[in-house]
Amino acid sequence: MTARLSISNLSKRFGPVIANDGVSLEIRPGELHCLLGENGAGKSTLSSCLYGLYQPDQGRIVIDGEERRFRSPADAIRASIGMVHQHFVLVPTFTVLENIVVGTGAGWRLDTRAARRRVSELCQRNGLQLNLDALVGDLSVGEQQWVEIVKALYLGARVLILDEPTAVLTPQESERLFTLLQQMTADGLSIILITHKMNEVMRSDRVTVLRRGRVVGTVETGSITREELTQMMIGRQLKQIEAEDRAGSGAPAVVTISAVSLRDARRVAVLDNLSLELRAGEVLGLAGVAGNGQRELFEAIAGVRRTERGEIRLDGKSVANLSAADIARRGVGYVPEDRFRDGLVPDLTIAENIVLGQQWQAPWRRGVLLDAARMREHAARSIADFSIATTGPGERIRRLSGGNAQKVILARELAKATRCLLCNQPTRGLDVGVIEYVHGQILRKRQDGVAILLASEELEDLMRLSDRIAVIFRGRIMGILPRHSASIALLGQMMAGTPLEQAA
Amino acid sequence: MWTDLLEAGIIVSVLAAAIRIATPILFTALGELVAERAGIYNMGLEGMMLMGAFAGWLGTYHSGSALVGIGAAVLAGLVMSLLFAFMVITLQIEQIVTGLALNLLASGLSTFWLRSAFSDVNKVPGISILQNAPIPLLADIPYLGAVLFDQRVVTYAALLAVPAVWLFLYRSRLGLEIRCIGENPKALDIKGHSVALRQYAAVLFGGAMAGLGGACLTVAATAHFVPDMVNGRGWLALVIVIAGGWSPGRVLAAALIFSFLDALQLQIQGVGIQIPYQLLLAMPYVAAILALMLRRKAGRAPTMLGMSYRRE
Amino acid sequence: MTLLAWSGWRIERRSGRSSFALVSALLSAGAGAVLCCALLFLAAGADPIAAFAALAKGSFGSTRAIADTLVRATPLILTGLATAIAFRARLWNIGAEGQVFAGAMFAFWCQSAIGAAPAYLQIPVIVLGSLCGGALFGALAGALKARFQVDEVIATVMLNYIIIYALSLLLQQGPWTEPGGFFEQTAMVPDQAKLPILIEKTRLHLGFVLALVLAAILHVVLHHSPLGYEIRAAGSNLRALQVQGVHAGRLILVVFALSGAIAGLAGAFEVYGVQYRLKSGTLGGLGYTGIIIAILGQLSPRAVVIAGLLFGALLNGSTLMQIRTGVPSALIYAIEAIILMFFLIAWAISQFRLRRLRDVD
Repeated sequence: MTARLSISNLSKRFGPVIANDGVSLEIRPGELHCLLGENGAGKSTLSSCLYGLYQPDQGRIVIDGEERRFRSPADAIRASIGMVHQHFVLVPTFTVLENIVVGTGAGWRLDTRAARRRVSELCQRNGLQLNLDALVGDLSVGEQQWVEIVKALYLGARVLILDEPTAVLTPQESERLFTLLQQMTADGLSIILITHKMNEVMRSDRVTVLRRGRVVGTVETGSITREELTQMMIGRQLKQIEAEDRAGSGAPAVVTISAVSLRDARRVAVLDNLSLELRAGEVLGLAGVAGNGQRELFEAIAGVRRTERGEIRLDGKSVANLSAADIARRGVGYVPEDRFRDGLVPDLTIAENIVLGQQWQAPWRRGVLLDAARMREHAARSIADFSIATTGPGERIRRLSGGNAQKVILARELAKATRCLLCNQPTRGLDVGVIEYVHGQILRKRQDGVAILLASEELEDLMRLSDRIAVIFRGRIMGILPRHSASIALLGQMMAGTPLEQAA
Repeated sequence: MWTDLLEAGIIVSVLAAAIRIATPILFTALGELVAERAGIYNMGLEGMMLMGAFAGWLGTYHSGSALVGIGAAVLAGLVMSLLFAFMVITLQIEQIVTGLALNLLASGLSTFWLRSAFSDVNKVPGISILQNAPIPLLADIPYLGAVLFDQRVVTYAALLAVPAVWLFLYRSRLGLEIRCIGENPKALDIKGHSVALRQYAAVLFGGAMAGLGGACLTVAATAHFVPDMVNGRGWLALVIVIAGGWSPGRVLAAALIFSFLDALQLQIQGVGIQIPYQLLLAMPYVAAILALMLRRKAGRAPTMLGMSYRRE
Repeated sequence: MTLLAWSGWRIERRSGRSSFALVSALLSAGAGAVLCCALLFLAAGADPIAAFAALAKGSFGSTRAIADTLVRATPLILTGLATAIAFRARLWNIGAEGQVFAGAMFAFWCQSAIGAAPAYLQIPVIVLGSLCGGALFGALAGALKARFQVDEVIATVMLNYIIIYALSLLLQQGPWTEPGGFFEQTAMVPDQAKLPILIEKTRLHLGFVLALVLAAILHVVLHHSPLGYEIRAAGSNLRALQVQGVHAGRLILVVFALSGAIAGLAGAFEVYGVQYRLKSGTLGGLGYTGIIIAILGQLSPRAVVIAGLLFGALLNGSTLMQIRTGVPSALIYAIEAIILMFFLIAWAISQFRLRRLRDVD
């Protein structure tokens, strides 16, 4: 069988960093091919080269026996390659139809009638029910993904690249996605699935493992075990950290959240009569599909956002009139979800970022001015403690990688967190090594008796680290489970809105 | 004297003046509306109008034809906006800074040019300005005719530009693409289309319209060019786009409200009511601030407005 | 990012900036601006070399000329500093223009109240009055932004127009009208209210030294104080500060007040150091030129002083240039803008570099 797509000896470097180093790969017609690798292994760079977003420095791409060179996505689309990005590229204020047809067609007039017919056909053929006139912003995340897939098919894709497609889906939505993908491959489409989740990899036909920009190997999925694949991916045995069991739950509550409600700018409830208790020396896991109120809950506890009703108490005292700085001073550390948007100032140095928020406080002042020497000293210590890869305390945050930037936030927030630590997606997008490190730090804080709230999209991580797991859906808690009674299936049901009492 | 303002004849003349006065701002605001829908915040409008006013006046003076003058003004607007587009789209210089720089450039260049061409400030020649072109039959409708159908050609053009811009934005392929760029340029980029090219087009259109708007200030209103004669109208056009919620119909409404205020203050001075003229002249600027304070419900700005797009 | 690509070569954005790039940007901007000006001189029918010579002689040709250059530079340094400090926080205060007026007016109001008090009282009242006036008017724009989310660029531009009409009203029909005068201006200020002259037989006044001192203070504030830390942080990522509990609205208000106060000082120095009366025309344009100076000075107080001196020289020399060569002094405003454009473009281009691609096999 001739390959639909073959890549040979492709290399791409960014300055001194080699992202892809002599990558060769073949994709057959009608196959579901997995690209497996850690963050930073070069999966995204490879897919960007395939889609014409980057030009490779070296190597050739052959499609259906014909060599192609992609200068832009337009060339890739012409070669019938389609791509669904990890972060959807949609216009929320446009309708489904507008999102699909924008940038297609010919002539001056916007001809929606013919487009509507073709889109309906595509949906029907793949068994998708989409309201073409609904605003994309009103759709669920799962439906938005369908729009992305139809968008690619509408452009005539015969090879479809999906970049981490299940990161934001409930387990049930992922299930539907895989049914759809199998249907599409049966239809002759080739699919490249980029992922780091082992249970998804096992459903593919073949898998290519990347490590540090190189291909470790391509194997038939049926002929290999998860453990072997993991070893190929990270080059060593994975040592997974797991929280030890604690007896009983008699620890005192550090943070008590009672009946808290909050509405967003459009007056939609994002937190709805929500109650929780964070107890000393306990990790409370928070599971839920992104956008169900997690960010708001974290910000409400950290004092970044005011609640409308209900009360949050820290060590028995209401925090209603405290600013985020006051709350931090009472021993609360907050690791925000979007580290570059909420956690760091890119143009300031590491030393300056490590004292962010404490710039008026005594330890960093000498008279009315800032004590630069003291800040540098402190930063140098943190750099050593957290093994941050940098040229020194004077380096600007802008120049750090995601993992090192996250370590700067951890250095700052862990130092503050003497009573309570709030971690929203602390390991998203990080390398396995850094993830292990972060998890270790969280468990050390648990050992010290700090109350911890941990939200993560990786349910397996939650099940390993948490003492209890709460599931949030549309701003309400669907139920709280002790770690050992939780399962992926049960959490999935609850994440989709079934309360614990009704879930099977 | 205040009751004089309520006479039918006065009301008609205030309304007619409001529509006439709205012309330059309406052109400029409609052009800026398209540019902002493509995510580009053009704070150089004031300068583009100024160059338009100057080129319109100079072109008419040298050729004796208003049409040549208007053509020169459009060209001036295009040149200015090409420079702007190059700086903010290709070189990705901060949009606000670039706009301000262009305002200063326009102010300096037009004054210098005027002074070196006509060294005696008191002997700057005038041009003959466009006259009203009443539309046959329609102009004879009582009241309404005088308000709407006895105007200058440019005014008709500005009013017609409102539905034209609406049709373009909502019923053409390029219009959909431009709206897409203002919300999420990547969505168009990954379909293999150049975001920059479309932004250039939107900015050039905005520049041409601002040039046209500027020309109305000289070719269709006063016979002379005076340094810095735009006097904040470019900024008001920006306010009108915001107050008009980024939609052509409401931009028209906002422009008419502002020009009505302006026409009213002219009339108040005209009938001899004793109010210090400074208060009257400051009115539009105060109104602009109030409009922005109360804008809340007017509409949502394009998400990417003012941010340059760079593929990561 | 790829800007342009053709066979084998590509223009890319640099990851960092080299000082070589900055210096070459400045030099090429300077050369481009000089060339452009020469063309404008030719267009105006003058010999460029003679014009440049007249410009130089007018600004540096004698002690008096140098002193005058420093006098012209004083308000520009101040408005440049005012703009720089706000831009540093990514607050686009275009209102230095109006804040100059507000400072001058408030200082004049305060000083009129104490009438003929001795000089040691006059100067502090003038300085404090102008700081307060500018700060209040700046804070008004800040409040509009912080409280009502009014775009600060538009708000400050509108306020600039409004305050000019307000001054005109006060001067024309109001309490400040010069008795029996014809022009829109106040009467002369009393002698003891005039700023002391530093060098005899020149016009160099105390304000120049105060402007330099202020620049030094601002440098320290910006780089070594908690407030400066917040200003720089806000300019990079205000949101991260808010998450740490910094009240954004309060910071916006403080920055606008600070920026306005500095600009206000420029207004008072012009009135009490140069014109000795309050009138509209001579205060106009100082704020807008300050924007150019702030940008040329890379928003750094030290470099702003240098850019301010350069522009003071240009303005001062233009008078002699007009007398000697007949080139209208209005050219200076065009030149200022041209220098700014060249600088912006050269600076932006210095972020890109040409890179040779390895052969695509």
